[in-house]
Amino acid sequence: MLELVGVRHRYDGRVVLDIERFAVPPGAGVAIVGPNGSGKSTLLRLLALLERPTQGEVRLDGVAVAGAAARRRITLVEQRPVLLRGTIRENLEFGLQVRGIRRTEVNRRVENVAARLGITALLRRRRHELSDGEVQRVAVARALAVEPDVLLLDEPASSADRAAAQTLYRALAEERARRPLAVCLASHQLEDAYRWADDVRALAEGRLSPVTPENLFRVELPATGSGGDLKHVCVGTIEIAATTDKTGPAILAVAPTDIFVSREPLASSARNVFTGRVTRLTHQRPGTVQVTADVGVELVAVVTEEAARDLGLTPGGPVVFSFKASAVRVF
Amino acid sequence: MDFLGEGLRRAVALLLSGDVEVYGIALLTLKIGLIATVFACGLGIPVGFVLATRPFWGRRAALTVVNTALAFPTVVVGLLLYGLLSRRGPLGGVEWLYTWQAIAVGDVVLAFPIAAALAAAAVQGVDPRIRRTAETLGAGRWLTAWTVAREARFALAAVITTAFGHVVAEIGSAMTVGGNIRGQTRTLTTAVALYTSQGDFGLALALGLILLLLALLVNVALQALQGRGHA
Repeated sequence: MLELVGVRHRYDGRVVLDIERFAVPPGAGVAIVGPNGSGKSTLLRLLALLERPTQGEVRLDGVAVAGAAARRRITLVEQRPVLLRGTIRENLEFGLQVRGIRRTEVNRRVENVAARLGITALLRRRRHELSDGEVQRVAVARALAVEPDVLLLDEPASSADRAAAQTLYRALAEERARRPLAVCLASHQLEDAYRWADDVRALAEGRLSPVTPENLFRVELPATGSGGDLKHVCVGTIEIAATTDKTGPAILAVAPTDIFVSREPLASSARNVFTGRVTRLTHQRPGTVQVTADVGVELVAVVTEEAARDLGLTPGGPVVFSFKASAVRVF
Repeated sequence: MDFLGEGLRRAVALLLSGDVEVYGIALLTLKIGLIATVFACGLGIPVGFVLATRPFWGRRAALTVVNTALAFPTVVVGLLLYGLLSRRGPLGGVEWLYTWQAIAVGDVVLAFPIAAALAAAAVQGVDPRIRRTAETLGAGRWLTAWTVAREARFALAAVITTAFGHVVAEIGSAMTVGGNIRGQTRTLTTAVALYTSQGDFGLALALGLILLLLALLVNVALQALQGRGHA
């Protein structure tokens, strides 16, 4: 178990991270989402023992740690990784040679991890001969080669195209299926986060908070749609229309701000129109009201206070939620 | 112009004739230069590494001191060293005054801040992700430093070249603590100064050309070494 406990980290006197406790349990998949500059990379560097927190400690299996010995159990792949001088093979061998692993085992691991990440053809090349996406895959391969207990990934698919990202995620999934590997991933995309989401945390201005899973549904997407990419997906007792070319297991997400709230069904282009009853009205931010309704499943919408007043929304009262198929995000 | 031309002709003739005194002075200069460069860089480059990579109290002040020491007047260093090595000085017992060792010590003192300051700048110029990558892959302190040094190899080679160039070109300290004794502590720079003052322009020019040649050879050798490396 890798933990940050009581961490307040400062740069030039400014607090950039303020975390009471954050844990990456063995074998877990933890994702941290947040905008650029929210402190994700700093948090990962602290977890990777590459920086010491100004205050607080990093614990590994309950013991406060620092230094090279503990670092060998944790490996970080940075957002824009760099390759060391030498060939790609030498890069993959670096961490293994540091650990004094025998030559035959080094060769076996390098060949194996290169095959899994689809970089076997690159092994003799040097860093300046690679694209950004290839560098990122090599960096992940280099990290996996040393078989860490915890793999920290900072925006792992930021430089990869879709196919390369799929290869990368598949290799990570295979590795996790093969052995207990904890993955902690930082991303500004919810899509990346939910791919690994045993636990998704939001990081904003250096503070962590749990991500409220509003309007998120794990579904099985059918192979064919009713017209083009329009698919009707069963969620609880309702059917949500979504435009996607994906099939199989997926997550549907509808942003609360993308839902129209009315008392009567509206004549509109929205493919999703659901009638139900208001279960809760909450004021989260000044001027807005969060409307939670049971429309067969629980959905959350956000309206202005003025709109809520004009519509006469009250708990238990009737309500209609509408949203377009294209407003449904699929990942 | 005849004067210059005559001087150049005499210089070439001395070089081609293999004049024992000229080559003796050149070899002594090379010996002192190499020894002083090895010591100055051997001490200065690691100090530069520490200054560039390790956060410690007073680091900024230490960097300022090292950078200021770059501008040490060579004759002042010679003077201080003279005080230390003279018979009444605290290091008088070693009896190094007016020996080539005294010149070498002065050169080390002069070249050390060059090596430290330029090495610190070279290491600071390396992408910090290189160090983090080596560390996260499990490298300890020494292997991490070696990995960073490999990335900064061109700049570090320039540090060595600069240190050597400074050492063979300085005159103030060599004159003060060496004494310019014929056959013992006469280096290229002190000899050039002496023969110029004596009006032997051809000999001074010959020695000056050798000095340039030495600097050129060291540069070529280092560039050849760098050329063997790949990205």
